[in-house]
Amino acid sequence: MNPTILIARKEGGELLMSGRGLAWLLALSIIMSVLCLLLVSNTELSLLDNAQVVYMVMGTVTALGALLAIVIGSDALAGERERGSLIPLLLAPVTPSQIVFGKLGGQVAGWIVMYLLSLPYVWAVGSSGQNLTQAVAYLALFGTPVVLGFGFLGIALSARLGSVRPALLTSLITLMLLASPLLLGPSLRQSTIGRLFDAVNPFSAAINTFDSVVIDSQPLTMQITRFAVTLVWLVMTAAFAIRSMRKMEI
Amino acid sequence: MKKTILSLFISILLMGLGNAWAADPLTITLGSDQANPSSPQMGDWLKFRSVIGNSGSQTAHGVVAWISLVQVDPGHEQPVDLEDWSAHKAVTQATLEPGQQVKVEWPMRLIQSGAYRVVISAVDRVTGHVMTSPFVDFQVRRKPVVESGRILPVAFGVPALVLGMIGWRRYRSHAGA
Repeated sequence: MNPTILIARKEGGELLMSGRGLAWLLALSIIMSVLCLLLVSNTELSLLDNAQVVYMVMGTVTALGALLAIVIGSDALAGERERGSLIPLLLAPVTPSQIVFGKLGGQVAGWIVMYLLSLPYVWAVGSSGQNLTQAVAYLALFGTPVVLGFGFLGIALSARLGSVRPALLTSLITLMLLASPLLLGPSLRQSTIGRLFDAVNPFSAAINTFDSVVIDSQPLTMQITRFAVTLVWLVMTAAFAIRSMRKMEI
Repeated sequence: MKKTILSLFISILLMGLGNAWAADPLTITLGSDQANPSSPQMGDWLKFRSVIGNSGSQTAHGVVAWISLVQVDPGHEQPVDLEDWSAHKAVTQATLEPGQQVKVEWPMRLIQSGAYRVVISAVDRVTGHVMTSPFVDFQVRRKPVVESGRILPVAFGVPALVLGMIGWRRYRSHAGA
């Protein structure tokens, strides 16, 4: 069997098959439930706010997916080192690329489960039905490269920094920086710096697309540039992870 | 003293002339469309009809008419940004001949619940005075934006399902051991 698939199966299995590993899934569902219960208790929402609520849930799912990816990614190589299992892994007949893509398997499995788990919530809050199908499709289309890009970043920092804690901290700070548009809102990003940041930030590209598609009902043709930004992010972080893996010091 | 009285007299005279000039030729009517729902709720469409006429003896140039919406709920009195309510917010007419009338329809999607007052205003290039129509009041019923009937089963059901899966795995691992 391909070593990448072998590593990916091991990583995915550890995340999804153990009782302890499923605790993150419970935490995620509780976060989503609390968010939805807060929304249902709000009586001041206007009709347009329904699409806004769907957009908010999509942004939250993407942010939680990225958080999961960097936590798993930060542990990917530095965790192996701390557990003493890194040398056997490096001695195995696998290339750095195969290790990186295999380690990504856990993040892919986690993201797929998280995405599937979020669908009932998206359906529940999208009661007006405005662009609900698009919301489901675009969450997969734009959420996936953003989340997996954070996964690659976590793996890269895990390889470079050699310890879980600094890798996790650096990844979290990067996530907070890139996900800041989720908190700031569009009006606070109208300055030149804000627009420049939005133009190159993959997280902004994803949430601006969610806004554009779900709230403003704009077509896919208007999202091509943003999709390219998320793909560039994915490719760049993948290259960074492979390069970091090759340069990793034992 | 004489100068002061003369100045006052001239001022009053000019003010009078000003009022005479202000006799606006534009007239505006406003009414609710007969097809409008009697008790509209959020998401419904309303249509208002107005007729802008030139009752003066001179042609009005550069006439602009626009719709304004005000929320009049006690304690929530505020003008409403029509951005989301209507794409048909103003009409222009290059010239309006004496006796000529323009009929305008103002469709509107009801976004938020509450008591509202709609009014049409118009201005022409020369007089610079704003003419307003009589206003029309309407009430928008609230429609649940987030349905508790959909959310509550999901919000409680999904964590319970995940908890059940964790419990089942633990039970299986203990049983296996």
